Amino acid sequence: MKEKFARWELLLFQYVKRDWKKMIVWIVALGFFSAGFIPAFQEIAKGQGAIGMYETLQNPAMISMVGPTPVETAINYTLGAMYAHEMLLFCGLFAMIISVLHVIGHTRKEEDLGLTELVRSFQVGRQANSLAVMMEVLFINVILSLFIAVMLISFDAPTITVTGSFIFGASIGIAGMIGAVIALVLAQVMPNSSSSTGSTLGIIGLLYIIRAGTDVSNDALSIFNPLGWTYLTYPFTSNDWLPLVYALIFCMVMVVVAFILEGARDMGAGYIPQREGRATAKKSLLSVRGLFMKINQGTIISWFCAFVIMGAAYGSIYGDMQKFLESNDLMKQMFSSTGISMEASFTSTIMMVMISLVAILPIVIVNKLFVEESRLYLSQIFATKVSRSQLYWTTIGLAVLTSIVGVLLAAGGLGGTAIMVMGENSGLSLSDFIIAGYNLLPTVLFVTGLAALVLGWMPKLGKFVYLYLIYSFMLNYFEGILDLPKWFSKTAIQNWPAQMPMEDFDGTVFITVTMVSIIFMIIGYLGYSRRDMIEGA
Amino acid sequence: MSEVVNVQGVQKKFGKFQALHDVTFTVEKGEVVGFIGPNGSGKSTTIRVLLGIIKRDAGIAEIFGKDVWKESLDIHNRISYVPGDVVLWGNLTGGEIIDLFIKLHGSGDKEKRDYLIKRFELDPKKKAKSYSKGNRQKVGLIAALSVDSDLYIFDEPTSGLDPLMEQVFQEEVEKIKAAGKSILLSSHILSEVERLADKIVIIRQGEIVEAGNLNELRHLTRSTITLVTEGDVAELATITGVHDLVEKDNQATFSADNEHLNDILLKATQLGVKKFEAVPPTLADLFMRHYES
Repeated sequence: MKEKFARWELLLFQYVKRDWKKMIVWIVALGFFSAGFIPAFQEIAKGQGAIGMYETLQNPAMISMVGPTPVETAINYTLGAMYAHEMLLFCGLFAMIISVLHVIGHTRKEEDLGLTELVRSFQVGRQANSLAVMMEVLFINVILSLFIAVMLISFDAPTITVTGSFIFGASIGIAGMIGAVIALVLAQVMPNSSSSTGSTLGIIGLLYIIRAGTDVSNDALSIFNPLGWTYLTYPFTSNDWLPLVYALIFCMVMVVVAFILEGARDMGAGYIPQREGRATAKKSLLSVRGLFMKINQGTIISWFCAFVIMGAAYGSIYGDMQKFLESNDLMKQMFSSTGISMEASFTSTIMMVMISLVAILPIVIVNKLFVEESRLYLSQIFATKVSRSQLYWTTIGLAVLTSIVGVLLAAGGLGGTAIMVMGENSGLSLSDFIIAGYNLLPTVLFVTGLAALVLGWMPKLGKFVYLYLIYSFMLNYFEGILDLPKWFSKTAIQNWPAQMPMEDFDGTVFITVTMVSIIFMIIGYLGYSRRDMIEGA
Repeated sequence: MSEVVNVQGVQKKFGKFQALHDVTFTVEKGEVVGFIGPNGSGKSTTIRVLLGIIKRDAGIAEIFGKDVWKESLDIHNRISYVPGDVVLWGNLTGGEIIDLFIKLHGSGDKEKRDYLIKRFELDPKKKAKSYSKGNRQKVGLIAALSVDSDLYIFDEPTSGLDPLMEQVFQEEVEKIKAAGKSILLSSHILSEVERLADKIVIIRQGEIVEAGNLNELRHLTRSTITLVTEGDVAELATITGVHDLVEKDNQATFSADNEHLNDILLKATQLGVKKFEAVPPTLADLFMRHYES
């Protein structure tokens, strides 16, 4: 025992000392995110809101995203039922993912970095570190659970019962622990930290998809899914403790498994051998374009997925949008454009949100070129016959291409889902959505151009382009509520193009904004081709 | 036109910081030039100017007679470069990165590549994120040595390599030197330059303080001599050209000016020499002398 766990308490103490800031942010941020939306939901539930929401969430597409509810009739769909139904699965997922990253960061990652080697050279047990990390995560998740429960109770809202609040909090805490133990097991099995993280997140994703299937087809099967043990507690309605018990047993078994696996392996080794890569490069990699595609590939794919999912999420609301919007004063005010169909009005706003999201990706790609430059990745490439114009325009080209595809995916995802759930009542066709999306393409090009300009002249300020995007988005989003002077709201680029499909297409603005964006890119190039490369900054 | 690299009075400022005051040196065709200076003295900055990564504020900087800023792409066709800190994309394998660099350079040799991978004992199938510093350095070196260039620029090339691999590197550099290529070898590790370089350029705080062939530079300094005599060695202290004399029994260790060597030896023979050792100045001595002042 001593050989295995000696001085784990010392390591735990060290971790708490090292991580206390992170712990506070973790608990407070996730706590607020999990429990803080009660007032917003009270607002939504007003009038016919809860009933509208109930109808909306009966849609299989929605069930596959947020999970089922035990409530059988709309009248029983109380505030608590609605809150648990819509929030619990996602909050649980967040808790899980953060715990996963934390556990692997303190176990396998430290092993890869060589920190473990140093620690092990002292009188520290072979598995003391794992024990210390698990204790830390347990501590954090218990506090998180209590924090959430107390916060929920403190709102003193109807149907948010004390029992329900504690079950809600405990479900999120246990979700964190499930993530932590899966991560600990895979940290032993995989050959390094990044594949441990990747496979753990992959398994969680798989569990999520499996539960989407079982929830829609036969939700009795979801109880066999570790992810099911979080939201199937049904806080505020059934208040079922049993899934939490399953989860606890699961966690204990997994920890034992992890310790056995860890005890039997060498430090730095895993059970799955390191996968061998390619000894030679594929032809597709052997160019600046190929290289940039390769290094941005992961980012691009994950953002593309996010666009489709976000589009589908918003699109699924269309089914019962009318009911939902009419029962909500705040929403009503935002969409109160007289004489225009609610769908068209809603679409123009949601499209703005979607396309603002799309605009993040090209900024990421353009800023990436500077990251590569300053972190010395390109040193050896600068010394070849690859010109700066090649580096710059390949990046800009990639950014523009991803903008175009991104708009298609976002608008297509939104429109496709919306039309599916609206069925024959749809007043809009898929092409209306796609056109409305591309109507906003110049706004994406504009921020891309802005990022290019910054890259050429003040590359260290790349992050400010995101700030502009956020500013612009916020201004636009709240424009309807706050009565702002026109010139002020025009500082947001999204306020320039026509609000399609509500308004007619404005070709002049479309072309002007596009031209300005292109000019930005060209001016950016003049800077980029002339300035010193900033290495190691 | 035998000058491959021609740098005259180059200056560079970063904001208020004057990184290069006055850098002047040349690399002739077929010459190996050791570019020596401590960290932060301006070695890498000079190299970045030569590569057209940053723009000089004043002075002339040419490679193959072409301006390094305006005609950088023409120049890059015929040079190979290994940075001091080789940073690689973690999700690509060493083999993939080598292939990429060779392709981007233009004229690669597949056989040479495979030969060098074997020589440097690199596992090309591993993802770069699992490479140690030494292995990343190998990737850079293999890519640079696999292509055919006229000028090779190495910035602290052996940092992170173990002594065996350092030996391999030295041998490979000797081969390209024998093939008549020019090499600019920047380093603060003196021994690696001492063995290969025909000429030494010493930089200090952005200024070239000494340049010349190694033997010439050695004339400027003193040899270290150790003598054991039958008579009293203390008598040596009076001779001009003897410095820093340390006596221990009948053994004396001192540094001697080369032009007074004859007088010193004449005196020593009168005392009856039992043991004599002379060590030529190492670069370390050269170096120290420049940094003492």
